[in-house]
Formats: sequence, C-alpha cells, structure tokens
Amino acid sequence: MNAIILSAILGVIMMFSGIWVNNKATLRWIALAGLLVLLISNIAEMYGYRIWNVNVHNMLYFDRFGLLFNSVAIGSTFIFVALSGSDINRVGKYAAEYYTLIFFVLTGITIISVYTSLLMLFLGIEIMSIPLYILTGSDKRNLKSNEASLKYFLMGAFSTGLMLMGITLIYGATGSFSIEVLNNPAIAQGVSFLEITGMLFLLVSMAFKVSAAPFHFWTPDVYDGAPGVFTSFMATVVKAAAFIAFVKLFDARMSYSSAVVDWKMLLCILIIATLLIGNITAVFQQSVKRMLAYSSIAQAGFMLFAVFSMNEMAKEGIIFYAVSYSLATIGVFAVLLKMKDFTFEGYNGLAKSQPVLAFANTVFLLSLAGIPLTAGFFAKYFMLASVIQTGHYLWMVIVAVLFAAVSVYYYFRVIQAMYFKTGEGETENIHPGFKTGLIILTVIIILLGVAPNLIINFLYF
Amino acid sequence: MSITVVLFWFLTALALLSAIMVLLSKNPVHSVLWLIVVFFAISGHYILLNAQFLAIVNLIVYAGAIMVLFLFVIMLMNLNAETEPQKNTWLKLAGAISGGSLLLILVSVIRSATDMTGRTAQVGEGNIGLISNLGKALFSEYVVPFEISSVLFLSAMVGAVVIGKKD
Amino acid sequence: MFSLQGITNGIEKWLHNNMSANMALLVECAIVIFLAISLFAILGLILVLMERKVAAHMQIRLGPNRVGPFGMLQTTADTLKLLLKEGLTPDGADKFLFNLAPFVIMIVAMLILAPIAFATGFQIWDLNIGVLYVTAISSISVIAILMAGWASNNKYSMLGAMRSGAQIVSYELSAGLSIISIVVLTGSLQISEIIESQRNGWWLFKGHIPAVIAFVIFIIAVTAETNRAPFDLAEAESELTAGFHTEYSGMRFALFFLAEYINIFIVCAIGATLFLGGWMPLHIGSWQGFNHIMDFIPSSVWFFGKTFLLIFLIMWFRWTFPRLRVDQLLSLEWKYLLPISMFNLLLMTVVAIMGWHF
Repeated sequence: MNAIILSAILGVIMMFSGIWVNNKATLRWIALAGLLVLLISNIAEMYGYRIWNVNVHNMLYFDRFGLLFNSVAIGSTFIFVALSGSDINRVGKYAAEYYTLIFFVLTGITIISVYTSLLMLFLGIEIMSIPLYILTGSDKRNLKSNEASLKYFLMGAFSTGLMLMGITLIYGATGSFSIEVLNNPAIAQGVSFLEITGMLFLLVSMAFKVSAAPFHFWTPDVYDGAPGVFTSFMATVVKAAAFIAFVKLFDARMSYSSAVVDWKMLLCILIIATLLIGNITAVFQQSVKRMLAYSSIAQAGFMLFAVFSMNEMAKEGIIFYAVSYSLATIGVFAVLLKMKDFTFEGYNGLAKSQPVLAFANTVFLLSLAGIPLTAGFFAKYFMLASVIQTGHYLWMVIVAVLFAAVSVYYYFRVIQAMYFKTGEGETENIHPGFKTGLIILTVIIILLGVAPNLIINFLYF
Repeated sequence: MSITVVLFWFLTALALLSAIMVLLSKNPVHSVLWLIVVFFAISGHYILLNAQFLAIVNLIVYAGAIMVLFLFVIMLMNLNAETEPQKNTWLKLAGAISGGSLLLILVSVIRSATDMTGRTAQVGEGNIGLISNLGKALFSEYVVPFEISSVLFLSAMVGAVVIGKKD
Repeated sequence: MFSLQGITNGIEKWLHNNMSANMALLVECAIVIFLAISLFAILGLILVLMERKVAAHMQIRLGPNRVGPFGMLQTTADTLKLLLKEGLTPDGADKFLFNLAPFVIMIVAMLILAPIAFATGFQIWDLNIGVLYVTAISSISVIAILMAGWASNNKYSMLGAMRSGAQIVSYELSAGLSIISIVVLTGSLQISEIIESQRNGWWLFKGHIPAVIAFVIFIIAVTAETNRAPFDLAEAESELTAGFHTEYSGMRFALFFLAEYINIFIVCAIGATLFLGGWMPLHIGSWQGFNHIMDFIPSSVWFFGKTFLLIFLIMWFRWTFPRLRVDQLLSLEWKYLLPISMFNLLLMTVVAIMGWHF
C-alpha cells in the first residue's frame, strides 16, 4: 500500500512543482528524489513496515512476489529517469506533467502487481495505460507521434472493452471478482462455459497489453512513433508489469488441466507466433528503433514462457527477466536517444567516436540476445528451465533456442555497425554523468549475469 | 404476458435494432444518434431491474455528456457520408465473419452454460441498484477501488491538458 | 375544502372500481398525457404573454393590447397564425432529423414534468431519485438542439447549436452542484421528501449562507441552461439570425418556442421546490396566527406563485443585463461559478454534518 498511495501523492507533487519550478533540470532531481522515496518505502513494506494501514477488503494482497516486482519496477524507473531524464525534458514544454504521468503509471503498476480482485486489475491496467496514451502523443508537432497515440488509444480502449466483457462474464459465472475464487481448482478445472469465455477474453486483452502475437499490431507503430524516451519506458517497466498481472491471473489455469480448454496449447500457439513474428520481422528492419520494437515482441514471447510453465522457477524467472530485460532495454534506448540517426548506418563507427557508449551498448545488446555472463542469459535460462521442469512441450524449448539464435543476428548487426564499419557515429553532446550512469548499468547487468541470486533471494529473505 | 415482459422484449428489440443501425448508418451523426437510442433502451432495462440510479447515471454520463461531445466533434469536423473513407470489401467481409463467429460463440456459450439455467433476473424487486445501497457498497466494501479510481481521472485530466493545450 | 389530492384520489378509486387494473392504468396514463399537454399549451400562452408584458413594463410601453381585454388573447392569435403557416424544410437539410428535432425537444420537456409536485399529493411519478432524474433528462435537450442545428444545413444554425450545446453542458455542472448541496441537507433525492423536509421552513432560509449561494448559482446556471438573456448567445439575433432554429417555420418553430418557455417553467419549478419549499406555505417560527392564515391558501397557489416569482426574476434579468461574449460566458462558468459551487458544496456538507442548519 505504501507504494500505491505514495506514488499517487508524488504524482500530485510533481504536478504542483510544475507551477513553482521553472528549471527542468530541477524537476528531474525532484522526480529522482521522489522515486528514491518510493523505492525505500516499498522496500520497507517488503520487511513489514507499513505507513498506512488500509483495510483493502481482500482486493489487494501484498505478497513478496508483488512487492519485489514493485521494487524492480520503481528501481528501473529510477535508472530510466537518471539516464534519460534530459531526453524527457526535451520532448516538450510540459516536463513536470510527464513526470506526473510516469508516477501515475507507477501507481497502476503497483496495483496490478498485488491485485487479488479483477476490479483492481481493471483499474490498475487503466491507470497504467491512460498516461501512456498521453505520453505516446506528447510530441505534438510530430504527426507520427499523434498517429501512434491515437492508434494506441483506440486499440487499447478496445482491448479494455474485451477485458471488461470478460470480467462481466466471470462475475456472472462465479458471482465474485476475487481471483482466489477464480483460481480455485474446482472452478479452474470445471466446465462453466461463461467463466471460460470470460477467461478467454481476459487472455486476449492481456496478450494485447504484453503485445503477444497475433495481438501485436499496435506495437511497432506505437513504439516507433512515440518519443524515444517514452518508448523506452513503455517497452520495459510497463510491459513487465503487464506480465506480472498475466502470471497472477492465469496461475490456476496453467497449473491444473481443464476439462474443456487446453490452456497450455493456447499459450503454446501464442508463444510460437510471438517468437516467430517478433524475431523474423526484426531481422528486416532498417531503423534500430523499429528493430527494438519488434525485438520487444520477441522478448515478450520469452516472457510468456513464465505464464506457460507457471511453477516456482517461472515466478523467479519472470522477476529476473523483468529486471534484466528492463535494464538492458533502458540502456539501449538511452544510447539510441543520443544518436543523431536512428538507422543501423547511424551507428557506424560509434566505437571510434564514443568508445564508452559503444561498449555499454554492446553489453546491453548481448544481454538482450542472452549471451552468457550477462543478465539476459540467466533470464532466458530460467524461462526455458521452467518449461523443462514441467516436463511437457519440450520441443518448445528447442524452438525458443532457435529463435534466440535468430535474435543474435539482428542484435549483432548493431554491434557490427559500431565496431566494424567506418563512419562518423554522430551523437548529441554526451555528459560525463551519462557515461558514468551507463557504466554503472553495465556493471549491474554483468553482476546479475554472474550472480542472479542477488535479485531472486529477495523473494525469500 | 405481463406488462414488464412486453416492455422487456420491446426494449431488447429496440436496443439490438439501434445497435445494428449504428453500424449500418452511412452518416456518422446518424450513428451517434442511434447510439443514444441504444443507451436509452439500456437505461430502460435498468429500470425494469429496479436500478433507477444506474439507469439515470447511464443517461447522464453517456447520453447526456459523452454522446454530446461525440456529436460536437463529428459536427465540427463536418463528416458526411461522402467524406467517409471507403473500406475494402474484403476487409468488411473479414470483419463480418470474425465478428459473426464471436457472436456465434457467445450465443452458444450462453445457451449451453449450465450455471445460467434456472436463474432469472430480479425484475422490479431486488434493491441493489437503489442509490442508498449502491452508496453503502461503494463507501464500505469497494472504497479502495473507488478512491483509487480518482487517480485514473486525475491522470486523464492531466493528459487532456497536456495534449490539448496550445504550445 | 378544494384539494387536488382529493380529486385525483377520487378518480383513481372510481377507475379501479369500474375497470381491471391494467385498463385503469391505461386510462390514468391517458388522463396524465392529456393534462400534461394542456398544461403545456396553457403555460405557453401565459408565459409568452407574460414575457411581452414584462418587457413592455420594463421599457415603459404598453405591450400587446389589441386582441382581447388587455391584449390577453394576443398569444392565442399568434399561435393560430403559426398553426396555419407552411412548415418549410430547407433544401439540403437532413429531412428526418430536421423534422424530428422539435418533437424530441418537446418530449424531453414533457418527461421532466414527471417528478414535479404541483400541490399536496399531486405528482405524476414520485420516483426515489427525482432530482437526479430532472438533471439527467434536461441534459438530453442538448441533443435535440444539436440535431436541429446540424440538420438545418445552415451555418448560423450550426453555430447557434454549438454555442448552445457548449453552454448547456458547462452550466449543467454548477446547476447540478447547487442541487446536490440541497440534497446533502435533506439526505434524499425524492421530491416529496425534499418538500416534506421544508415543513418548518424553506431551505433558502434554513441553510444559512451556503444555501443562499447555492440558490444564486442555481438561478444563474438555469438562466444559462435555458438560453435566456443575458446568456442567449445561441440565438443572438445580431450575429446568428435566430440560432439553431433559424430555418424552422410554422408549427415546428412554435414547438421550439414553446419548449423554451416550458423549460423556463420547469427549471423555476425545480428551483421553487428545492429552495422555496415547493407547495409548502410560508411559515414563520412560532407565529401561530400567521401560520394558520398561510395554511388557508391552497398548496397549488403556493407552488405556482413561487414558480412564477422565479420566472419573473429570469424575465427581469433579460432587460437588466447586456449579453455576454462567448469567452466571458465560458470563463464565468469554469473559472468562477464552478469553483465557487464546489467550495459551496463542501461548506454545505460541513453544515449538514455539524447540524448547523435549523
């Protein structure tokens, strides 16, 4: 509850500081301080210290899993603002409002990681999405940004409609919003057609939110059209949060086999389609930004394995995946935003002009590709190992590894451009603090790649 | 056939018919007006269920506010039947087929749902939709979502200002 | 003693004795419809005449004085003239919507009549959310206005409809908030209960300053909502000819004209019910004799007296204040009235919780 209430309050504080603080750099420091307070309060809650004692009527349940993810999300946002804060300030006039909206997104995220009622799921998803529609369209002079915002809004509204329809059907079948009722084995295995249809609707809308194929069509346009900083935020923290909600929602569906619907099979189709479309399309992209959009679809395919296998390892894995993927993607985007040209050619010769940026970027890309000694390796390892643990659908592991190999191709294209091609590698002015930030991020990613338990231990201790 | 049954079928037919007309109308303004009729029919259903408060709120929020904004925008943009972009016939066909299969599934689900048989709506009785009961539920059991939804509205308002304000 | 309640009860008893329940209901519906329509017709005639007489008085002239004694039949003659005129439908208009709009606006006006209590026990439908019902239905009239303006295929009509729509939608908020501040005091949305709570004094007097503020805001807001001067930009003659009903003629124009006056009557009736005690006679504390005399005046006279007093007030505005500009109109609502009425609602809530009202 600490993080939920505090993030909403901090959002309001940011809003008002927009009136009194004219210096955008100061706003960024205020936002960073706020995020730090939020992080500390959330970690405090993990150890049982609560600022507010609210009777939530069993609509929220603050378990370690959810709270740890909150910390991860808030921490990633902190790193995001620290690295790309100056780019947020460059998007438009309303820097304070952008930070406000980011805090509100965090409110939504902190709700959907601990919800136990479908009502809260709906509210959380909406609180998370609506600020994102705005942030997508915040570059008002840019037609692509406007188009992206409108597309995202219309499709998002449609998927929310489906979600509401699903919740209605489930409520009609079970008379309850609680996911405890929903995850009750008797209901999960049962043949209540209304409830199953409701779950299918929820599956579709959640798949939309995590941009799993075939519900991914909005992703490339939105990620490409939105201002780069906000793409970075959307593709990382927000996407991971949607996965947490997904995992919590389909816990029982995947654990017990249903008499009517083979949920595993459905998920299997989703995963294969997502991996296929994400990876293959990413290969053909000319713009790094668009390539990253497709690669985020591909990564979503990997994260879906957590929903698929749904055991202890999957839950550890999804948190770890969220951390490694978020950090690496934030890093890649932070470098991308400093480039003058977003195509692969723009990266030519970056190793000569900006060796630190090029090295850090290489580490991030290696992590995304899942090369050992980076966090990304263990993230993918956890996902695939969890599937092996379930003992079914082992062929999917092979398919996933094949697609991971495909992904190496397009990630390495960037590395190749940076190191082995000659060019200017033009960037904006690089602040020394930015380089320091990148180096710290690199160190974190390598550290997690060596000792993944640094994060996972928090789940238990 | 009692008067409520007659009213129920009348309102249902009206709602379905107008919903179809929303789709079939060439003119966007006509579509919006048909949508208003749909909302009225649904409000009528609420009244049959003795949920007067919901019925009225449905009218205030949808027919009175949102649809008026829709009308405003559409009228100001002067969208006419001629300016409506012509969609690909195949696309329309695909849409009709996929929508139709969804409808088919929903209908078959509701028909075969065992948990629906023998249950009837509380017509004219049942006091859950009355304002005092709704208020009590909102401010006791559902107070957390109720309060949290204020963040939703606040963010939407901030967003509207950010998007709408002139640079 | 003469009492409307007695008459209605007698009719109901007679119907139920002589017919089946469904039949009796149908006949009652027919009677109500007949009464509502005749009330509309009579009100239209009276209010138009009243407007012209008040206007004339304000401008020190005589006003209509040829047809009938003191010109009392002038509006009847005008109505007859309008009935006989040809109703033109402009070329290029959306014929269906163009013809539908005046009826929609009349139907909306009639629907609002349902929860209004005209006298003791004389009310069409005492539903438990009466006040909210009135707010909801009155917001539908915007749709009719937009329909009329758009279907006319005329830019003046369109602009008028847009202005009027923006005006109604925005002023509805502060009107609604001042209604809610009375609801906070009574704790009920039912009209009969709101009137009953004013047995020992009207809310305007019992609710201290917040009630007075709410009343003032209510009057301003409903003046704007009914598109009356000084808020009549929607039909500003010098700019827009006649606003959204520029293209209408004959009986359809008469319906718009009538609906405007009916709406004035209805909002004033609501104001009288909420703030001035509806049909409750004026009682002052412990003045037994005075209170007894007041009780002898029939309740319907009280109701109509209060309503017409408010109508007179609104007509008075027309000849007192100059017309506002659009930006002034909107900033008045969004920058002044709305914040004030929100704050006032808070104040009223404090008053209600602490029990400071009488």
